[in-house]
Amino acid sequence: MGSQLALKGRIASTGSLEKIFNAQEMIAASHIAQAREVALNAKPYTDAIFDAVQTLVSHSHISHPIVKKEGDNPRVAVLALTADRGMAGAYTSSIIRETEDLLARLDEAGKEPELFVYGRRGVSYYKYRNRPLAQTWEGDTERPGVEVADAISRALLDAYMLPADQGGVSELYIVYTEFINMVVQKVRVLRMLPVEIIEDKDAQRPDPTATTAMPLYAFEPSLDEVLDAVLPKYVRSRIHECLLEAAASEVACRQNAMHTATENARELINDLTRKLNASRQASITQELTEIIGSADALNKKEE
Amino acid sequence: MIMAGATMDVNIVSADHPVWSGVAKSVLVPAYAGGMGILPGHEPVLSVIQEGPLVVTEPDGAKHSFEVTDGFISFDSNKLTVVVEHGRTMANQPIDETGIQ
Repeated sequence: MGSQLALKGRIASTGSLEKIFNAQEMIAASHIAQAREVALNAKPYTDAIFDAVQTLVSHSHISHPIVKKEGDNPRVAVLALTADRGMAGAYTSSIIRETEDLLARLDEAGKEPELFVYGRRGVSYYKYRNRPLAQTWEGDTERPGVEVADAISRALLDAYMLPADQGGVSELYIVYTEFINMVVQKVRVLRMLPVEIIEDKDAQRPDPTATTAMPLYAFEPSLDEVLDAVLPKYVRSRIHECLLEAAASEVACRQNAMHTATENARELINDLTRKLNASRQASITQELTEIIGSADALNKKEE
Repeated sequence: MIMAGATMDVNIVSADHPVWSGVAKSVLVPAYAGGMGILPGHEPVLSVIQEGPLVVTEPDGAKHSFEVTDGFISFDSNKLTVVVEHGRTMANQPIDETGIQ
């Protein structure tokens, strides 16, 4: 049985840890509301872009490089979305595990994956292991703004648009955590580029070669320029969507992890308090036995 | 055309938040080659727009003006959607009838 002083010290330190965990849990809980608001604010934009892309698809056979990439360039880009801070349970580690899986699969398929990482935890993980990283971003993983999405999508689109002999990539995969609900978050791998656009079945248009037919839509200045303007925005808004979902998952993971940690700390404190009481009682009993024993011995002497 | 009414629905969204939505009788957008006016019942159009002022006239004549960056507009079924990177209301700035300051 440990000394009472040591037990008291451990109880005090666990108590302060518990306070920290509890505070973190509350912070995460308040961030959830913010994350939801940011996601709701970005949704109309995403929807509008999606509608525009659907319109474009239904009017023409798009042969834009974002949709179709020619040649067999083995280089592909992988973007992993991790957290900036720890204290989020298995959030970053499950992303890293999935990323490693994907990289191994791509290697097997004869591709040459290039790794892009967002989030300080992921960056430091790979830096520590001396893995070559194509590009990294840090900061604001809990509240990714448009600027971050812009920086990431610009870098990735640049890499994608480069010709193969200049170090371009032919595909882009994103590893992120899908937010299903507060309790369940799932790691997902998404192929972002080339964009797969599913054509609306009802929106079958007449043969595009029939040039005499009045187009239903006017594209200004021209279809190609509209495509050039809309498709990168589409990709960016998709990436932003992934970032927002990852942020919501991160916050939810953190809240769950901190909730469990708080409970564990409380259990530990109860356990330690019991041990402390037992050890105090033991020392009292021992003292009493000693006093009674010695008093007994004195009484016997006098007889 | 059925959609040729006196008003149309307008929805202006920027990348991080919705800017404005409501009913209008005319909208002036900074299209790629200069200002472009859109009235209810316009033919379906998808156009690239550039940075500049965007003016919405409500049915009662009230004007709202916005400063938008590059993006695009789409008009279909009497509904105008303006999609821009950044958009903000220009507050307290007088605008004359043409919308040019």
